[in-house]
Amino acid sequence: MQLPGYYEFCSRVKMIAGHNALEQIPEALLALKSEKPLIITDKGVAAAGLIKQVTSAMNKSKKGTKVKIGATYDNVPPDSDITVVNEVAKLYKSKKCDSIIAVGGGSVLDTAKGVNIVVSENATDLMQYSGYGAIKRKLNPTIAIPTTSGTGSEMTLVAVIADHSKNIKMVFGSYFLLPDYAIIDSRMTKTLPASITAFTAMDALTHAVEAYTCLGKNPVSDAMAMSAIQLVTQNVVNVVKKPNDMDGRLALANASTMAGIAFSNSMVGMVHTLGHATGGVCHVPHGICMNILLPYGLEYNMHKTGNYIGELLYPLAGEEVYNSTPKKERPTKTVEQIRKLIQDLHDATGGRHPRWFKEVYDRDGNLMVSREKLPDIAKTAMSDASQFYNPEDLDYNDFLWVMENAWEGTPLNRKKVKKG
Amino acid sequence: MDYNRYPEIQAGGKPFKKMYIAIMLWVVGRAMQAAARTDRELKEEFAALRDDFLLKLWVLPGGPAMLVGKDQKGRVKYFGWKESGEKPTLTMSVKNIEAAMLMFTFQESTTIATARERLVVDGDLPDACAVVRVLNTVETYLLPKVIAKLAVKRYPKWSQMNPFKKHLGRIAVYARTFIGV
Repeated sequence: MQLPGYYEFCSRVKMIAGHNALEQIPEALLALKSEKPLIITDKGVAAAGLIKQVTSAMNKSKKGTKVKIGATYDNVPPDSDITVVNEVAKLYKSKKCDSIIAVGGGSVLDTAKGVNIVVSENATDLMQYSGYGAIKRKLNPTIAIPTTSGTGSEMTLVAVIADHSKNIKMVFGSYFLLPDYAIIDSRMTKTLPASITAFTAMDALTHAVEAYTCLGKNPVSDAMAMSAIQLVTQNVVNVVKKPNDMDGRLALANASTMAGIAFSNSMVGMVHTLGHATGGVCHVPHGICMNILLPYGLEYNMHKTGNYIGELLYPLAGEEVYNSTPKKERPTKTVEQIRKLIQDLHDATGGRHPRWFKEVYDRDGNLMVSREKLPDIAKTAMSDASQFYNPEDLDYNDFLWVMENAWEGTPLNRKKVKKG
Repeated sequence: MDYNRYPEIQAGGKPFKKMYIAIMLWVVGRAMQAAARTDRELKEEFAALRDDFLLKLWVLPGGPAMLVGKDQKGRVKYFGWKESGEKPTLTMSVKNIEAAMLMFTFQESTTIATARERLVVDGDLPDACAVVRVLNTVETYLLPKVIAKLAVKRYPKWSQMNPFKKHLGRIAVYARTFIGV
């Protein structure tokens, strides 16, 4: 193992994981000296009956505790917005709540973080707190309950909140934005459809793989990433085929959180650079972009980080395949293994899991990423900071070349990767 | 306890390291101005930045520093080492003098320094991406290949860089850096 000359690592979220983890919420609130939490969620989560599960779990075990739900806000949009943040903050204050329980995915969690800045700092202008390090003290208690197994945002210290009136996105970064608790319960992902289960798991896999192979890697994140990769590859196809496999669901939820710890400390590279750009230009769900672009990112960087990529064959394919593959062939075998996993998920979902961008359609059957959009995506990628952490450099032409291959579904011709 | 009996011990000033970094920042600042007037791609890179763009690259806690930005005519200019009223739109802070030494003795590239959290960015991230690209190009112009390869992720191959652009550009950037035009 090669140690970096210097690194920083921080993960201060208490994790409670299990089939009945929700029942620990009252004890967690007690430990946080909170009695009146505000629940923040979105319509989809509420409609799936997940908030009922949270509240009934809280009721079951609340003997001896004084916890009372202050209010529930269930109208968070997919793209977190300052108007919503202010609306929820108003509800928090009017109901005299003292803590937040965020139940949902990335947008719900980002909204909860924004609300917490407003109510804890008594802020009138959220913009004052944007950027890194502007929040200087501990905020009110927060519990995060993820409902997908992919984003890992319950372990990240960043929130992105849009101000649609000014057409800007504000980024907030502070260790004080980390939730106090992350509660990982298998019941929260039980109703996820097969195709969403598949691409969110590939999102978690990408976090772990990029954390392990990009420039910010460190030994603590590596350990988390390796375990997360193993948990995803051993369980995802099974869970897609058998949605009631609760042990498998719990494994994927754990993998997502561990990958979140890994990438929030090691950061990510070009798969995310292009994924953010494709999401921004064509509104393709993040997990689908990650799923398609992951093998291309590894192929592009292989001349620089082939040794790390080769090491991933062990958690991806198991001991036997790893040992029987000569060392110099392991990096390409790793990529083959990931492509095989994508194909298996494509087959298991009856073709709904896309393998490349020309297979990505919206609900109305329209192609989401047209070939003409690829230059826009490459241009947008040039402004994404995750490229700093990618082992090899990319310019506009490189981004475009990778996207053309990922659109068509042709592996990269690695001889054409520019090396300096 | 009488705390006044125990005076605060100041950390060593490291004057030679600070002087070295100050000189390097002066060279890089002037070279950014020079390269922006010489290299077409850098001209376009700066043209895409906001009109009031002002970069402050400095070492925490107390400097040295350099400021580069656009003047009222939209031309890229080195504004010295001291802020003069205008608030920087992008601040890149190196956490301490030792981290700065690693960067400016080319033991660590800008990207590795970022990955190791030695560089704190305050401002728009797209602007920061552009500045890193500019710094990479400037380093490629200023430094011999053997050193520049340590500073940048990918040194442009001879075949990928027009020899005319490379040699004449390098002479022009050097001349303009030291003459200041």
